Amino acid sequence: MASIKLEHLTKRFGKVVAVNDLNLEVRDGEFIALLGPSGCGKTTTLLMISGIYKPTEGNIYFDDVLVNEVAPKDRYVGLVFQSYALYPHMSVYNNIAFPLRLAKVPKKEIDRRVREVAKLTKIEDLLDRMPGQLSGGQQQRVALCRALVKEPEILLLDEPLSNLDARLRIETRAEIKRLQREVGITTILVTHDQVEAMTMAERVAVMHAGVLQQYGPPDELYDRPRNLFVASFIGDPPMNLVPVKFEKTDGTGRLVAQGFSLRLSEELTRLLSETGEEEFTLGIRPEDVALSQEETAEGFPGEVFLTEPLGGGTLVHFKFGETPFRVLAPKDLKIEIGDRFWIVPKQDKLHLFTADGLSVREKGHAEQG
Amino acid sequence: MKPRPWRGRRRVFRFPTVILFLAPFLILVIAFFFVPALLNIVLAFTNMDSSLEWNFVGLQNYRLLFSDPQARQIAINTLVYVLCTLAINVGFGLILGLLTTYFVPENAGLLFRAIWMLPRMTPSVVYALLWLWVLDPTEYGLLNMVAKALTGAKPTFWTMQHPMGVVILVNGMVGASFGMIIFSAAIKSISKDYIMAAQVDGASHLGIVRSIILPLLRWPLMFVTIWQTLSLLASYEYILLVTNGGPFFKSEVWSLYAYHEAFAHRFYGYGAAIAMILVIVALIVTMIMLRVFGFKRLMELMG
Amino acid sequence: MKGERKRRVYRAPSSRQRLLGMLGRALPYVFLILFSLPIISMYLWLFFSSFSRKVMFGFIPQEWTLHNWRFLWSPIQMGGAAHLSIWKATGNTLLFAGVVMLIVVFTATLSGFALSRFRFRGREELMRLSILLHAFPGVTLLIATFYVLYYLKLLNSIWGVAIARAALEIPWSTWIIKGFFDNIPWDIEWSAYVDGCNRFQAWYKVILPLLRPGIAAIAIFSFLAGWNDFIYPYTFIFTKENQTLSMLIKALIGEFRFTDYGLLASVSLFYILPVLVFFFFTQKGLMRVTVGGMKGGR
Repeated sequence: MASIKLEHLTKRFGKVVAVNDLNLEVRDGEFIALLGPSGCGKTTTLLMISGIYKPTEGNIYFDDVLVNEVAPKDRYVGLVFQSYALYPHMSVYNNIAFPLRLAKVPKKEIDRRVREVAKLTKIEDLLDRMPGQLSGGQQQRVALCRALVKEPEILLLDEPLSNLDARLRIETRAEIKRLQREVGITTILVTHDQVEAMTMAERVAVMHAGVLQQYGPPDELYDRPRNLFVASFIGDPPMNLVPVKFEKTDGTGRLVAQGFSLRLSEELTRLLSETGEEEFTLGIRPEDVALSQEETAEGFPGEVFLTEPLGGGTLVHFKFGETPFRVLAPKDLKIEIGDRFWIVPKQDKLHLFTADGLSVREKGHAEQG
Repeated sequence: MKPRPWRGRRRVFRFPTVILFLAPFLILVIAFFFVPALLNIVLAFTNMDSSLEWNFVGLQNYRLLFSDPQARQIAINTLVYVLCTLAINVGFGLILGLLTTYFVPENAGLLFRAIWMLPRMTPSVVYALLWLWVLDPTEYGLLNMVAKALTGAKPTFWTMQHPMGVVILVNGMVGASFGMIIFSAAIKSISKDYIMAAQVDGASHLGIVRSIILPLLRWPLMFVTIWQTLSLLASYEYILLVTNGGPFFKSEVWSLYAYHEAFAHRFYGYGAAIAMILVIVALIVTMIMLRVFGFKRLMELMG
Repeated sequence: MKGERKRRVYRAPSSRQRLLGMLGRALPYVFLILFSLPIISMYLWLFFSSFSRKVMFGFIPQEWTLHNWRFLWSPIQMGGAAHLSIWKATGNTLLFAGVVMLIVVFTATLSGFALSRFRFRGREELMRLSILLHAFPGVTLLIATFYVLYYLKLLNSIWGVAIARAALEIPWSTWIIKGFFDNIPWDIEWSAYVDGCNRFQAWYKVILPLLRPGIAAIAIFSFLAGWNDFIYPYTFIFTKENQTLSMLIKALIGEFRFTDYGLLASVSLFYILPVLVFFFFTQKGLMRVTVGGMKGGR
């Protein structure tokens, strides 16, 4: 299982920069995810790692060996495409056997390995079918087999779950995770679904417009987002983001927004004063906010605009000016539209972002996790 | 205001209007397709000549044909011509299609495809002139110059000494572009994912061509083969212009023979009889094509 | 499944491997250039020998001259009678091609419309037949068409032969125009009827303008078909006065073939000028129209 290092990796298509100065390393046997919206460069990165695209600038190392010039077939990577790309004119067996036949593996050996990997993904009885006869989930497993049968050092998965229905997606997520652990192969998963990335990967690299935003374990991305993009992208329901102004009166800091004002803790007041700036974006997750029926200095009042029962709790919508503000309230709290509550955000869970989108708390950290 | 008379118009259209729209089409198609087709069948059994009178002579034309010593040679020529040129048209067309779509980027591919379209778009007399220069029997003909440069050979009278080869090459250079267009479109429509998957699976370029591209080209290959067979059976223009079937029928093919008998010797009846044989063969090939493809799919294929 | 297995060692490709890789990438170009050399040299020769007195090594011009282009202003002859003036021949060819184009456009738009919009008995059969007609060997039609033209007293008449030639283009051009019509929504036509048009007015004022690209395509293709045609004029036109350019060149080839390639080249270049012009301006579009998109593998 190989370790991967990407150094100043850049890919340009004419004027368009798909991947911009990407620096990333993956440990031997690690499962990481490349997460980001469509067009952020994650699939392009995957194709460069597999050798199908050549980087415009930058280097790719497998086990500290420079592999920029190495052809795809010599890179020992398995690649599962979003469309699965199963050869339509070959049976499932032949699809899986294809890479082995190309490598001139003896017939008996091919048979053994094909059946072995088919057992791993539980498709032994589909071996004689044609791809056109299979369901989406089955096709995906065949694609996985074809990638794994040559015992690659690196496994690359391009949006493997996006073509599956919701129930199957959850099952397959667990399957892939189990498989990876059992086989122990260095794996990179590309996805736009943050739940997928957060549940399956050991570390997640968030990308946006070709640039790496943050790279670290899921909980680090969740609790300590380094910039606005990461904060807003990760988490469901998404983080509340409100433009605020920082004011200090008699040593007490306050955040003033359109429609409310919030007193800050000492620590936060100090942090914000140090930046010397006034305009910030406040970020707080709906589950880090409490609702109180009594007035409190730690919070601010608001009127319920909409409620969304989620089963395990209620998502309560407030509105301040044009900015929505959502709070996750416990299930047993009775809430009606028009009710008034005191909104009390947890001070230690407050995120503050400067005008250029960087987190005040996380400033000064290096890009890599 | 005077009330307008309501003429109930039905959606399914009245005959007269349709006929009006189709009139030119029908007139032309009847006059220059149907009538000639039927006429040819009739003429085959007459002895019409330059007097343009027709007298029915039953099967005399066919008896003449089957006892004609040239006819056998011409039939063999036709077979050789069609098969060899077919190999070029389909095989080389495939190679050109692959080279210009898979092996080189789009811009270069476009350039070379444009170059190979030139012969097809050039008027036949000019194309023939170009070949006549290439095949010029003096030392200034291109082929003779190349032969001299490569092997120091003396100038050859190509059209005299290798008439069939000449004829095959001339038609092949034009014919290959048909296959090239069809195959390049088909190759371009193959999803890139398959190619990329094969690359990662370890296939070389030739391996990809063999295992992925060719199997997906089965229908275009069959289509081009059958279509080109029909075209080649019916073709004679380039042969007429370059060798005129010579020397002494060595490069004469069946359709050219019909042409010569009818228009050079003015035996229209005899020419028609010769042409009828061709019609029968063409009909058989067309039947095969319809059977193999099914009519609906053929309509789809043709656009 | 995994357990202990020998780990693969990664090695950057050696310089020899990289050299081979580069050669491999260049190989398709080498083949393409090699294969295309004959065509390229043929057309280069056409261009160069029309402008030079002598050619060295086939087509490298030696003396630039316009002598070969004298046919534009003086009669072409070598002993014997003069050949037809180039301008008369061009006029004949223009007439021929023009008539073909007009008939094709007129007929195809009318019948394409009918086949697209009308529902009548025999519609399917008519379409089926059109496809079948395409497979008919040309020489059979030629012989019988001779008699038909003779009967209609159209032999040797330029526009008469043009009508016969146009008929050959009708099936496919109707097909293409029908396709264009199929893509025009009914609503537009219905608005025209509601606004008071009868069928012909609707066709002429509303629908035809929307068909411009399709009409342009078949007009150009049929014009070029007429311009380039050799067999129909050669077979059905006899008098020198009515010769088209293709016939003229054939006659010139017979006479000047071993003596004056320069003249032949320049007349030919003159002849294929419209084709070249069209060719250069429409390369990409051409590819798309001729194919109609075939699906690989199905």
